[in-house]
Amino acid sequence: MAGDIVLGYDGSEGSHAALRVAVTVARAFDADLVIAFGYEVSPVGGETADYRARVEAFGNGVVAQGVAAAAELDPDLRVEGLVVDDRPVEALLDVVAARDARMIVVGGNESGPLMGAVLGAVPHKLLHRSTVPVLVVPASGD
Amino acid sequence: MSTGGVVAETPGGVGSKGLKVGALGLVSTTVIGVASTAPGYSLAASLGLVAAAVGLQSPSIMIVAFLPMLFIAAAYYYLNRADPDCGTTFTWVTRAMGPTPGWLAGWGILMTDLVVMPSLAQIAGKYTFLLFGADGLANSTFWVTVLGLIWLGVMVWICVVGIELSARTQVVLLGTELVTLILFSIVALVRVYAGNPLGAVTPSLSWLNPFNIGSSAALATGVLTAVFIYWGWDTAVTVNEEAKDATRTPGVAAVLSTLILVGIYLIVTVAAQAFHGPEFLTKHSDDVLGALGTDVLGSPLDKLLIIAVLSSAAASTQTTILPAARSALSMAVHRAAPRKFAQIDPRYLTPAFATIAFGVLSGVWYVGLSLISTNVLADSILALGFGIAFYYALTGFACVVYYRRHLFSSIRNFLLVGVAPLLGGIGLTWAFFKSVFVYSNPANSSTGDTAWLKFIHFDFTVGGFHFHADGLGPPLVIGVGLLLLGIPLMLLWRVGRPEFFKRPLEVADTLDGPAPPLTPAAHGGPDHGG
Repeated sequence: MAGDIVLGYDGSEGSHAALRVAVTVARAFDADLVIAFGYEVSPVGGETADYRARVEAFGNGVVAQGVAAAAELDPDLRVEGLVVDDRPVEALLDVVAARDARMIVVGGNESGPLMGAVLGAVPHKLLHRSTVPVLVVPASGD
Repeated sequence: MSTGGVVAETPGGVGSKGLKVGALGLVSTTVIGVASTAPGYSLAASLGLVAAAVGLQSPSIMIVAFLPMLFIAAAYYYLNRADPDCGTTFTWVTRAMGPTPGWLAGWGILMTDLVVMPSLAQIAGKYTFLLFGADGLANSTFWVTVLGLIWLGVMVWICVVGIELSARTQVVLLGTELVTLILFSIVALVRVYAGNPLGAVTPSLSWLNPFNIGSSAALATGVLTAVFIYWGWDTAVTVNEEAKDATRTPGVAAVLSTLILVGIYLIVTVAAQAFHGPEFLTKHSDDVLGALGTDVLGSPLDKLLIIAVLSSAAASTQTTILPAARSALSMAVHRAAPRKFAQIDPRYLTPAFATIAFGVLSGVWYVGLSLISTNVLADSILALGFGIAFYYALTGFACVVYYRRHLFSSIRNFLLVGVAPLLGGIGLTWAFFKSVFVYSNPANSSTGDTAWLKFIHFDFTVGGFHFHADGLGPPLVIGVGLLLLGIPLMLLWRVGRPEFFKRPLEVADTLDGPAPPLTPAAHGGPDHGG
């Protein structure tokens, strides 16, 4: 559905703050909320199947938690959970394209700039690549 | 309206459950296979030991040792079709031959990964010092161990937080490694023919003839040592599920990486032993390429060779830690190991507990071995052959047993699914037991005079075979001892958590289709990691 709000959610404190804001934004636009979790399993080292299943199960748990939390904040909101087998940034951009979404909401970086550079900061990359507005919510924000 | 609590299946276009299709191209698949084998590091660690075992016939061992690997790769290829599982050998052997051999196979993988760590850490430490010209520190066991431990810690951290090099960086690193090794070989050979470096031997075709190897004992120990240099190559065969064209890419990648590896090992071995003779390799067995590099390439080009070995050791450390942690995860998922090993770190999405546990154990093992053994590197490489031979052989046998109903359906199946894995298994089993006898005599190990477990003492003759022991060689105690340690641990686990051991045996229904899950609903359940 066009106009969805896409939330990048990984269960961290920052993404929880983002969830609260995303629910408010979705309500304001009368939009649906899509809670997405992206993951990638490196093929380096092989032996990926059980590992991948494990991460996917973890993602399902996280997303189910997010969906439940959103439903608690606003029982009338239409919420959908998605677990996507791709890097977080690619996953969110794909969901946005597939849904023709209105906006991406993510939690601010909890890691410092150095770790962010090493691990790849999701909000930073999204700001550069997204074709729709990106709302970055600081961890302490409510 | 609320759809709260419902987790939808991912819709089309956004990716789907299970393996990503089309992720890996031919180059990436080949690179993963070759980089996992780590040619630079493997040569640096084992060339001297192979030369010690078979002298001038080292090049022929590079060919002979590849044959069982090739045969076992067929087993990997077919078993991977049924179950491209995290635990590979652990799950396959469990299905085909039962939970007890399966558990021991899993243990074998973990112990083999553990045994290689001191060698990796030591090479990394030593070559880092050599890179900066600190030759004095490079010869100090204490400082090499310190730097090796730091290196180990950094690599474990990298695996925990899940940093990975981009595919392009890997191609560049591997490319540099291969080009450097070829450059080294060409320069060495040109100088052998042009001038006469000290102790140089003109290459001869007879070096390639395995029948010139003096004894079957030398052949067995040579093979068991050289099997290590091809270890990891099977990754090229097992990443097939993720390849772009799953029917063609993995096969071509396997052939390509084979040609690259056998080619590079042959040319480097020939060049290295031609330059200063095999005795030089034996004498410098713990830094062959470092020692030769300076003489062959001169300063500062020799640093290139050291960088090649270092980047190769880094890649190899990563491709050892990752599968070790994932094997432990797989065993835990299937209730064959403590649940904690299956935990996924909520932030980094890696099996952090298993990774750190393996790292800590490796560190303890490395320090312990440095303290008690006079030659850590050589002893662990020699010991490693036992572990690799053990679980590769089991994999070969598991393939034949698992697909036994399909062996006679065509000549192709008979050869590839039956004969090849069986021959590979038998070959490695032979090398295993032959080497047990060889290394039962401490004089045959590189440590030489030091015997371990001196209370083991016998001397008798049965049916013409003479059995004699006055203590055992360290490689045997490390290699086989760690494997045997698995038996009491397995029994202990079996008493506490018998459910894994109640599994029935399986046999393949088809040759192409996936097998049913090893443990139904193993990944579900309320305690999803974290």
